Amino acid sequence: MHYESPVRQPLILGDKSYNQITEDVVRPIENAAPRSWWMVFSIALVMFLWGVGCLAYTVGTGIGVWGLNKTVGWAWDITNFVWWVGIGHAGTLISAVLLLFRQRWRMAINRSAEAMTIFSVIQAGLFPVFHMGRVWMAYWVLPIPNQFGSLWVNFNSPLLWDVFAISTYLSVSVVFWYVGLIPDFAMVRDRAVNPVQKHIYKVLSFGWGGKAKAWQRFEEVSLVLAGLATPLVLSVHTIVSMDFATSVIPGWHTTIFPPYFVAGAIFSGFAMVQTLLLIVRKVFKMEDYITVQHIEMMNIIIMVTGSIVGVAYITELFIAWYSGVEYEQYAFLNRATGPYWWAYWSMMTCNVFSPQFMWFKKLRTNLVFTFVISIVVNIGMWFERFVIIVTSLHRDYLPSSWSMFSPSFVDVGIFVGTIGFFFVLFLLYARTFPVIAQAELKTILKTSGEAQKKHHSDHGAHH
Amino acid sequence: MASNKVYWKSFDQLANTEVSQRLAENEFAQDIPADVFLADERSLEAQTSRRDFLKFLGFSTAAATLAACEQPIIESVPYVVQPDSLTPGVPSFYATAYTDGQDYASVLVKTREGRPIKVEPGDAGRFNRGTNARAQASVLSLYDSARLRGPILNGKDSDWASVEASLKKAADAALAQGSQFVLVTSSVFSPSLQAAIERLRQGYANFQHVEFDAVSQSNTLDVWEALTGVRALPSIDLNTAQLVVSFGSDFLSGSTAQQLSSDYAARRKPGTGMLRHVELESNLSLTGSNADKRVKIKPSEVSGALAFLVNELGGSAAKIALRDDLTKALKSVAGELKSANGKAVVLVGGDDTNVSKLAAALNALVGAFGTTLRADKPVYLRRGSEARVANLIADLNAKRVGALVVAGTNPVYFRPDFEKAIKSAKFSLSVTDRMDETAVLCSAAAPLPHYLEAWADFRPVAGEYTVAQPTIKNLFNSKSLLEVLGGLSGDPRSAKDQVAAVAGSLGLNWNQTVHDGGAAVTSGSAAGAPAGAAAALAASAKVSKPVNGMELALYENAVGAGYQANNPWLHELPDPVTRLTWDNYLTIAAADALAMGFENETNSDGSLDGSYATLKVGKRVLENVPVFIQPGQTAGTVGLAYGYGRTSAGKVADELGVNAYALGAATGYATVEISKAEGTHEFATVQLGHTMMGRRIVNEVSLADFIADPKGTNWNEKPTFHTIDGHKTSEEANLWANHDHETMHMWNMSIDLNSCTGCGACVVACHIENNVPVVGKQEIRNLRDMHWLRIDRYYSSDMSKERAEEERIGGIEMYAKMEEPSESPSVVFQPVMCQHCNHAPCETVCPVGATVHSREGLNHMAYNRCIGTRYCANNCPYKVRRFNWFNYMANEQFADVNPSQDDYGRMVLNPDVTVRSRGVMEKCTMCIQRVQYAKLEAKKAGQPLADGGFTVACAEACDTGAITFGDVNNAKSAVRAAKADARAYHLLEEVGTQPSVFYLTKVRNA
Repeated sequence: MHYESPVRQPLILGDKSYNQITEDVVRPIENAAPRSWWMVFSIALVMFLWGVGCLAYTVGTGIGVWGLNKTVGWAWDITNFVWWVGIGHAGTLISAVLLLFRQRWRMAINRSAEAMTIFSVIQAGLFPVFHMGRVWMAYWVLPIPNQFGSLWVNFNSPLLWDVFAISTYLSVSVVFWYVGLIPDFAMVRDRAVNPVQKHIYKVLSFGWGGKAKAWQRFEEVSLVLAGLATPLVLSVHTIVSMDFATSVIPGWHTTIFPPYFVAGAIFSGFAMVQTLLLIVRKVFKMEDYITVQHIEMMNIIIMVTGSIVGVAYITELFIAWYSGVEYEQYAFLNRATGPYWWAYWSMMTCNVFSPQFMWFKKLRTNLVFTFVISIVVNIGMWFERFVIIVTSLHRDYLPSSWSMFSPSFVDVGIFVGTIGFFFVLFLLYARTFPVIAQAELKTILKTSGEAQKKHHSDHGAHH
Repeated sequence: MASNKVYWKSFDQLANTEVSQRLAENEFAQDIPADVFLADERSLEAQTSRRDFLKFLGFSTAAATLAACEQPIIESVPYVVQPDSLTPGVPSFYATAYTDGQDYASVLVKTREGRPIKVEPGDAGRFNRGTNARAQASVLSLYDSARLRGPILNGKDSDWASVEASLKKAADAALAQGSQFVLVTSSVFSPSLQAAIERLRQGYANFQHVEFDAVSQSNTLDVWEALTGVRALPSIDLNTAQLVVSFGSDFLSGSTAQQLSSDYAARRKPGTGMLRHVELESNLSLTGSNADKRVKIKPSEVSGALAFLVNELGGSAAKIALRDDLTKALKSVAGELKSANGKAVVLVGGDDTNVSKLAAALNALVGAFGTTLRADKPVYLRRGSEARVANLIADLNAKRVGALVVAGTNPVYFRPDFEKAIKSAKFSLSVTDRMDETAVLCSAAAPLPHYLEAWADFRPVAGEYTVAQPTIKNLFNSKSLLEVLGGLSGDPRSAKDQVAAVAGSLGLNWNQTVHDGGAAVTSGSAAGAPAGAAAALAASAKVSKPVNGMELALYENAVGAGYQANNPWLHELPDPVTRLTWDNYLTIAAADALAMGFENETNSDGSLDGSYATLKVGKRVLENVPVFIQPGQTAGTVGLAYGYGRTSAGKVADELGVNAYALGAATGYATVEISKAEGTHEFATVQLGHTMMGRRIVNEVSLADFIADPKGTNWNEKPTFHTIDGHKTSEEANLWANHDHETMHMWNMSIDLNSCTGCGACVVACHIENNVPVVGKQEIRNLRDMHWLRIDRYYSSDMSKERAEEERIGGIEMYAKMEEPSESPSVVFQPVMCQHCNHAPCETVCPVGATVHSREGLNHMAYNRCIGTRYCANNCPYKVRRFNWFNYMANEQFADVNPSQDDYGRMVLNPDVTVRSRGVMEKCTMCIQRVQYAKLEAKKAGQPLADGGFTVACAEACDTGAITFGDVNNAKSAVRAAKADARAYHLLEEVGTQPSVFYLTKVRNA
């Protein structure tokens, strides 16, 4: 048995037995949904359907129903795309990178974080597809053999890299997530009374028997997948950033973008995990598993990545000045003082200043404050993408073509729709999937459970 | 030998056994269980019997066959006899002359399969050869579905015989009753029409012909008629001119603009002796924008200013006190006029008698007569007389007119007093292209053919006779005015015969004249004017005191007088200076706007809003005039364009803008009372950034610097990058592998910013040639114009990087101030289309490779492959790519404006160019269809492609020759010579895109 220093804080609070963990995790699945769930679900569903309507209108009429113009060819569409992809980063980071680094505190949160990743990558994927003028030709971005002659995709295009990056990320994340779910599904299956439910979980759990050999393979596969997923944490947002970095537009054409985007993505991803988990732990009474310590750890990550992002912002300004390129200089001056100054300063306030409060332990362990900051950070990160995309495009090289952008109701509707879609998926997940990786969690109960730790320190490690 | 072999199937058959015999008798070797089957009652009762099955089978086969056949059937009837002159896919060109009541131009019309689809400049050397925006767009007016389709009598559909009979009856009755028979037209400069009118005059003693021009030159014509005895204006010859001083004369967009622009540009080639242009004006006009020196002046100050110059140059005119700064400017102008030494010309705008007299006197004093001002070579395009219009209105009101024929003009719209008067005519007929404001008030209306449908002839200028030939059979039941008048005077000849007779009387070979579109003749010259008499006019001219209040100066933009107001291309073309579309508006100086509380505001989506004003000239009031704040507008003056505010022109023009004619300012100028009105007007602008922000976009140099440094070392430096190996140009610091540009053609385009006047003919030509959709006011307001070619207009700003450094102004403040145009800006125009970069940022980013590079230096766009990510447009530093936001071909929003949604309008589409679908990107192709056509023709002929043998649509439309297109791999090509010019530079060279388009530095003679 692994020995853990009593100095380390327990990761599972209260006097939990294995059975108690099972009971706690399976409670939302086996019990009827509370009224609050139905209310939130209804709201999310209405938002989702509104978004579907707006998308249908777009596809039926043309991209002209959005607020774009001849100069600003991307705005909310790609802003939302990058924002959702960014949010999707925390899941893989928590489950893969922290697994490799043997950070045990991830176990309470990785399942939901990864669910969030998958659901937000689904939202993200909608935008590059539906922003196309001829969405019915979207499959042309795939390098598939075709009857058009020797036509092939353009491997020089960062948009094509996006296609590969996002699809790889989504598939690896889904597989990794699903593999982790297998023992937990089996647990639900074993407890199920309703034959239909039992059958569904039986199929889902792939006939998991819980043999030692199965566990061993499970561990190995997890490790391999974590190894595969880890580079993706860096690659996905690096490639997304190249949509901009490889262009010639001042404000986009920046070599700092890959690390800056990755840091921003982790930043926003953790903020979203924070938002969701604070709700989940409260609603499903999981305070003993998702502890204040977890919240605090994530707050520290938010503070660090927020500061990295802040340094990136300042570096951009410095380089614009130092480069001596007048277009670059103007682009950044225009960001801060031009017609979209309010977007720039919203971004700065939300992303750079607000996380600095997390230096104070009192604040970073305060759940209400954390919740507020997590939302503020996500607003800030949305603005970051808006600032990068719209304020760079609206005033580029030739002043004759300068313009402005204002969203139409369809732009807003589609964004709201993806938020609705995300919550529809997440709420359905919360009612049908084990929201905590209980099988994994049980492996650390003996070492990191509060009662168990107390027992160890009272009676010594060996007995 | 015939074989009688018998083949057997079995040994039994060979042996011919009994069994085999019995079997042979039986047709079916085995028993068919028909009885068993029929005995089974269930099978008979089954719902699908065998017969049913066969029926179903038959029906579904037939249905499937029919369904497969059910394609929309478009009837196309082949020629019974193929015309010799027509090869499908090969255009035919016809020389003709364009007139629309306002403009005249000698043109060449391109037809495809019998449809005119494009108007191109006529033969070199012909007077006013060339196409302005209206001439270019005129081909669409042919296919305007708002045109009148057949005669209308008393509000009911009728026929020509009835209408002509009614007219004859009314004219005869008028003759009998002693009332008048009046024909109202715009200026008539057609010899055959003049002859027809003369014949009518002989038949009817009570006949009167009233000519008037929508934008009148009546007073000026009176002055010149008194001087020369000919009712015509002198022609202006810039070929020998050294200096043009213009007082509000927008001569680069006036009636002879094609001629003058071309001469102007030719005389403004940079170097010693370059023509200098001084403009004194109130509105910032296209012409004023091109001036080397521009002085703000109020219209009421013009007579005083001219008198001052007359006195300075040794003439004698009344003296009047002027503003100090104006006096100072005039002194220097006087000095320039003196030193120009007989090589100067003074032009005036508007139509004021005294101003015309003073200008004539001044021209006499500077020695312009006979050199730069040719009264002996008069231009007949304007002949109208406002006095006769006034008489006619009085006669009408006094019910002295028995029969009134209005032909090809619209007096109720142009002269609002007609609205009441015309109802007093006993019988009125409007021979018109549409049920316009006049036609709806007449007792009868009859369709006039479009100029592309009729025979006509013209004498635009002394020494030239031109013939206009039809290029298509009349689309509607229209009849040439020659034939209508002929019918009345008993002349049965067709229009063609009438024209041919005139040509014959001039001693011309008919076929040759028609082929060439005209010929030089000796007739029509005038004696010229004695300079002494002209100089003496100054003494008789009344010099008026400057007005204290606000003054209005009316002007014409691309819509012109308003004859072609229902042509969407002209509305879609942005005003070259204001860059607004689909509107007319009051231009006002910023200081006046502030004082009167007028505002222009840019919304968060980039759309522009403005206040409304109410204008009052005398007793006439014009309400809801949008106000636009215009840099360069003289304080105390406002401008307003003619041609808008139509009420009965068609779905494009109706209710668009306000009618400036309603103010009754006959001279083009008036004192006006302006008050602020309620409401906010929605403008549709295409340009929000008005200054170059200190960037090197339009490279400009003064003539002195140009002459001192002809190699451009100091004024055309290539931007360089600091590298470890020293300074490198973008071409040297290249990260990319270069394309092979030596083996094949290498298409390049040169745009001479010194020649470009910004007129916009190229923009319309591009629209027509490439089937560019018209998107209408709302979409332009949304900044989604589809122009493949645009003409950027930049104003100078009072702030510059140098000034900021000198005065220690920080970057934020500097850039904020740079955005503001100067109050008296100098203006530059820059046509920008796809630059066909050889390292194109758009090509690398397209995920599906829909935009690719050609081996001939062009950037191709494969519409069929495009999926519409818009990444290419975002990554284009020149922002020339245009996205199909909607299905412009079918979306109802564009039904009123886009020609391709109209059954008639669709006929104007160029069959060589794809009409793009929704969701794809489009942009300038360098008229790839023309390039390919020329290449194939050369290949068929087995000849190398000759330089100048063909060109692109914009270059062709340009009167000033600012655009040169060709193959730089051809050592003798004009474009290669231009590329070697010291003035050549690439736009945004530092981005390293290596464009195939380059610009020639603008040289200002300042």
